[in-house]
Amino acid sequence: MPVAASAIYFLNLRGDVLINRTYRDDVGGNMVDAFRTHIMQTKELGNCPVRQIGGCSFVYMRISNVYIVIVVSSNANVACGFKFVVEAVALFKSYFGGAFDEDAIRNNFVLIYELLDEIMDFGYPQNLSPEILKLYITQEGVRSPFSSKPKDKPVPNATLQVTGAVGWRREGLAYKKNEVFLDIVESVNLLMSSKGNVLRCDVTGKVLMKCFLSGMPDLKLGLNDKIGLEKESEMKSRPAKSGKTIELDDVTFHQCVNLTRFNSEKTVSFVPPDGEFELMKYRITEGVNLPFRVLPTIKELGRTRMEVNVKVKSVFGAKMFALGVVVKIPVPKQTAKTNFQVTTGRAKYNPSIDCLVWKIRKFPGQTESTLSAEIELISTMGEKKSWTRPPIQMEFQVPMFTASGLRVRFLKVWEKSGYNTVEWVRYITKAGSYEIRC
Amino acid sequence: MTGMRGLSVFISDVRNCQNKEAERLRVDKELGNIRTCFKNEKVLTPYKKKKYVWKMLYIHMLGYDVDFGHMEAVSLISAPKYPEKQVGYIVTSCLLNENHDFLKLAINTVRNDIIGRNETFQCLALTLVGNIGGRDFAESLAPDVQKLLISSSCRPLVRKKAALCLLRLFRKNPDAVNVDGWADRMAQLLDERDLGVLTSSTSLLVALVSNNHEAYSSCLPKCVKILERLARNQDVPQEYTYYGIPSPWLQVKAMRALQYFPTIEDPSTRKALFEVLQRILMGTDVVKNVNKNNASHAVLFEALSLVMHLDAEKEMMSQCVALLGKFISVREPNIRYLGLENMTRMLMVTDVQDIIKKHQSQIITSLKDPDISIRRRALDLLYGMCDVSNAKDIVEELLQYLSTAEFSMREELSLKAAILAEKFAPDLSWYVDVILQLIDKAGDFVSDDIWFRVVQFVTNNEDLQPYAASKAREYLDKIAIHETMVKVSAYILGEYGHLLARQPGCSASELFSILHEKLPTISTPTIPILLSTYAKLLMHAQPPDPELQKKVWAVFKKYESCIDVEIQQRAVEYFELSKKGPAFMDVLAEMPKFPERQSSLIKKAENVEDTADQSAIKLRAQQQPSNAMVLADQQPVNGAPPPLKVPILSGSTDPESVARSLSHPNGTLSNIDPQTPSPDLLSDLLGPLAIEAPPGAVSNEQHGPVGAEGVPDEVDGSAIVPVEEQTNTVELIGNIAERFHALCLKDSGVLYEDPHIQIGIKAEWRGHHGRLVLFMGNKNTSPLTSVQALILPPAHLRLDLSPVPDTIPPRAQVQSPLEVMNIRPSRDVAVLDFSYKFGANVVSAKLRIPATLNKFLQPLQLTSEEFFPQWRAISGPPLKLQEVVRGVRPLALPEMANLFNSFHVTICPGLDPNPNNLVASTTFYSESTGAILCLARIETDPADRTQLRMTVGTGDPTLTFELKEFIKEQLITVPMGSRALVPAAGPAPPVAQPPSPAALADDPGAMLAGLL
Repeated sequence: MPVAASAIYFLNLRGDVLINRTYRDDVGGNMVDAFRTHIMQTKELGNCPVRQIGGCSFVYMRISNVYIVIVVSSNANVACGFKFVVEAVALFKSYFGGAFDEDAIRNNFVLIYELLDEIMDFGYPQNLSPEILKLYITQEGVRSPFSSKPKDKPVPNATLQVTGAVGWRREGLAYKKNEVFLDIVESVNLLMSSKGNVLRCDVTGKVLMKCFLSGMPDLKLGLNDKIGLEKESEMKSRPAKSGKTIELDDVTFHQCVNLTRFNSEKTVSFVPPDGEFELMKYRITEGVNLPFRVLPTIKELGRTRMEVNVKVKSVFGAKMFALGVVVKIPVPKQTAKTNFQVTTGRAKYNPSIDCLVWKIRKFPGQTESTLSAEIELISTMGEKKSWTRPPIQMEFQVPMFTASGLRVRFLKVWEKSGYNTVEWVRYITKAGSYEIRC
Repeated sequence: MTGMRGLSVFISDVRNCQNKEAERLRVDKELGNIRTCFKNEKVLTPYKKKKYVWKMLYIHMLGYDVDFGHMEAVSLISAPKYPEKQVGYIVTSCLLNENHDFLKLAINTVRNDIIGRNETFQCLALTLVGNIGGRDFAESLAPDVQKLLISSSCRPLVRKKAALCLLRLFRKNPDAVNVDGWADRMAQLLDERDLGVLTSSTSLLVALVSNNHEAYSSCLPKCVKILERLARNQDVPQEYTYYGIPSPWLQVKAMRALQYFPTIEDPSTRKALFEVLQRILMGTDVVKNVNKNNASHAVLFEALSLVMHLDAEKEMMSQCVALLGKFISVREPNIRYLGLENMTRMLMVTDVQDIIKKHQSQIITSLKDPDISIRRRALDLLYGMCDVSNAKDIVEELLQYLSTAEFSMREELSLKAAILAEKFAPDLSWYVDVILQLIDKAGDFVSDDIWFRVVQFVTNNEDLQPYAASKAREYLDKIAIHETMVKVSAYILGEYGHLLARQPGCSASELFSILHEKLPTISTPTIPILLSTYAKLLMHAQPPDPELQKKVWAVFKKYESCIDVEIQQRAVEYFELSKKGPAFMDVLAEMPKFPERQSSLIKKAENVEDTADQSAIKLRAQQQPSNAMVLADQQPVNGAPPPLKVPILSGSTDPESVARSLSHPNGTLSNIDPQTPSPDLLSDLLGPLAIEAPPGAVSNEQHGPVGAEGVPDEVDGSAIVPVEEQTNTVELIGNIAERFHALCLKDSGVLYEDPHIQIGIKAEWRGHHGRLVLFMGNKNTSPLTSVQALILPPAHLRLDLSPVPDTIPPRAQVQSPLEVMNIRPSRDVAVLDFSYKFGANVVSAKLRIPATLNKFLQPLQLTSEEFFPQWRAISGPPLKLQEVVRGVRPLALPEMANLFNSFHVTICPGLDPNPNNLVASTTFYSESTGAILCLARIETDPADRTQLRMTVGTGDPTLTFELKEFIKEQLITVPMGSRALVPAAGPAPPVAQPPSPAALADDPGAMLAGLL
């Protein structure tokens, strides 16, 4: 397995080191200074997640107000490095019970050192599962007051956890009320031309679960995806239902899913870990239902005046509604004065991002609203560069709507004791990078 | 600035930002705010305007682009109150530069402030102009600023700024300060008591003097006065004394100004100045305090350069050198650096070298200094101070240092060592030793030029050959040797290995086996050299050695199918040749001597040198041609034992004079080829062309059929001409010479054509002026890059070629006008050195420009009444010359008449009674002579058309000669023939002419006969 890290640094936005851990001797201690001077203090920050300086590679990402930097000098596996960072952050979050930010790191540095020792050894990533690590590193993080109080847990059998068949679940769990929560979260990525042609469109989705189930339950999930339905109809030798089937690409499962059964029977069956986890991820590129249509018209009237007209149409069901809709309409840098007329919501000019920001709190389905603005520009000394017209960006959330059309057909829980369970299913669609050229 | 709450809030906001991102957001927000405010229709209150403009300045200082609001800033300049005016001036000078159009709006306001009575406003305005004033300002403000500067009512503060402002204006537009009136004023200004005004006036003076020192000669004694006042009388107010040194800045400036005057004539001034300099030299020492050191050394080094500039007497020079010697031995690296650098500059002054030599050991120690810049200076200095007396020591020292020097310096070091060894070699075997050692120690850093040079030496000096061969043989015994060493050894042993045949271990077969051992370790470019060496060894093996032949043939066989064309070709050809016996001997005979030229190493060193103006190398290169090569030249070609002793050793202690005396013969020798040094050294070594064909011919016919000219053996030639040589030639379309001759007779046509480019020409001639247009057409679908056209004009033409674009786009044509002016009559032709790059190939051509003598002729038809008085008025040589020309291309008379007419010499029919004779007239134009009438008479012999008698008469002896030669050339050469047939153009002895008796009668024929 390739090396993932020679050292890991946690920096705040000013470039101060919050915590660091060196796993190998092949990078010097001053490498973080190089990162600070060559990456943080230049404009390139955020352009390129991997930079090479002086024989070392810097693999970094920003999470809230912390930069996590991995330094390697060998030919490392970068994807592994990023995955490690993401997993480590998830781990820290589960320990701190909530946010991961500069303050959380400062408050928990002893715990973080202990975890850093555990999750990576000589640059090779180790077990990052919170469920298991919590068994051995029992030190509590400083919890925020909102998180639930920890319960007394029986001391588990360590070796079984690591070597056993179901490493991700403890035996002997018991809940009064057996509940399963299932969320399907999709984010829509779109690039549309000004004439309304779709240039690029895809949906990335996740199935998130939260289980509070006693014993060792066996779960089975049925979706309206194509492969599953075909297999089913084949097995039951009856024609497939006329309903819509969804073709999922790039499906990845949590390690608890029994892949042999998935390969043979095309059903998703698993013994879930306790608590919250991500069951599967998928991607859809065809048959996407776009929740919004945007029709922009932008006219430049001479050198100092512009007229902007943007119409937004919601095309999902009339009973549904979108929340937190934000439309960002870029304007030239030399914008001086703006005048708005909107049918719903509020709009204002934000000079720090050079955009008109139009916010609509609640947007019912099958409606439309428009914004028209007059913009005055100031004349500049600089050479007259024609404005590049960046795309309009949009943010939204539509509950109970899936852009892919994916639906949960069934979720069966089977346990030896045969208790009854309550299943909750939610759907939500968010904007990923939802862009419309103008 | 107090009381602007918005501004201070903004600044503290920005300072409180946690990171760059937050700062950017805050700034963008503020910029948006300012834009909105400036755009508002309501008129801004001056307070608000001021506040926003300050904010803009602050944002600009933080490094963000502020590209609006300049109008507001400029408008504040005209505000009546100081706080607003101040912002206006400051922000304008920060945000705008001299090229902004907005500034023009401000000129008038600024002028009003300058001529106004308010001192603070004057200062603000002068500062603005002094910082960003451009040409427009110079034109409109210079008189006012001058007035301020000399006004007696102004305070020194204002005058100080006026002086600096005027300096800026002068730099932008030197015409702003008119010389006539101002020189006296300038002299008066230098009498100023106030040191502030004086310092800025001196800055102005330095700029003025650097432009035109003659006009300001009256300032010279004043500068000396200032120096006297400062350095001798110490008449300086306390506030202008810096660490006890009286105004070092003023001292430095005054001395700098003095250096722009060529010399100081007045003995008393000179004496006074030297007294001051003496005082500075004596009074400066190294002290603890860094600031004091800096100041006093600045003064000292300026004084040193002034001393050098003035060519002071030897005593003072030696004092300087002694002082510098002290500096070199100081621990402090800055001072040591300065000492070494200035010593290198001192070398320019010829007679201090001996004194500098006393410090040689100290300088050599500096070569080991931990600081690389000091080491470099030391190397420079050593290189500069080297001459015959210390060459051996220095070169040995450099060789020793080479093995410890860091890599970045090694190449320079080895190059310099090689040059020194070449220039100052007491004997040539030492030179060979040094270079071989050099290659041995630092092979990677020895450029090809160095070993090419040593090969040239050995080839040109016969008694060196056995020595070099045995040395090369010795080095081959080493286990691991550098590839360059393999190259040298192989070449030398191939050429001269047979001279060693009697020595043990040096028979041809032994040499072959020891060289062949190296073959697996070398790279492709070296293999061809080894192959040639094998062939030569085989040829020299006496008696013929069948064993060796078998081995060598095996090698040739092996490389016959080599993928490298060069190697393959050599292998095949040598193999075939070696079967031929005597022909083989012929082809592989010893390489002939190399034509002499300037050492390419020195040229290279000149290019390498970064600080060219102070470089001792350049100076050296100019002063001293290579002694060693001169020696080689004097040697008789047929190989009589040459005098081994270099002339330098014959008692003369001054190497320079020897070198200079030697430079003359060297110069004449290299005259063979003054303009066309073959750029490719490799071709010198390996290509027979450079040796067998006269260099001039090579360059003239560069694009002709290379193989066919001067190379007797086609096969041999192509085998030995290196690949690099061939890349330069492209296939030509048409013959250049033919095209040129055609263009001599007409005014438009194609001058040059190859597959990539076509150069056409179109000309118009009027009097002694001509206007040519070069049309360069790219025939490709890809651009031609690095296009360069350079005119090498002969002395009699003034040519002005407008710049040719660097790139010719695909399928495009560019035009380049060329103005020609004829100054004197001459037949020489201008040459256009043209080159371009197509893909990776560089193609260059030397093209003759058809601006020939006949282009400046204008046809003129004369009647007999006009002709004969003129003909008679031109009497005898040198105005009238006659010559019998033989070997003329046979032409019928009408054809000949046409030929004459075509080069603008008009035949006047019916003037001469003899139908076999032609009489012609024309007018010649040049700048020096104006229009001159030219008359000519050609007498042909109907029995023998190949000879004729020609008489040419004009009002100018040079013109007569040139025109006669020109016509002769035209008659002899078929217009499409090559110039090679032209007989050497020496002044032919004019045929004695019978003094013309008085005119006999009115019969024109008889009259003519009498005249001729």
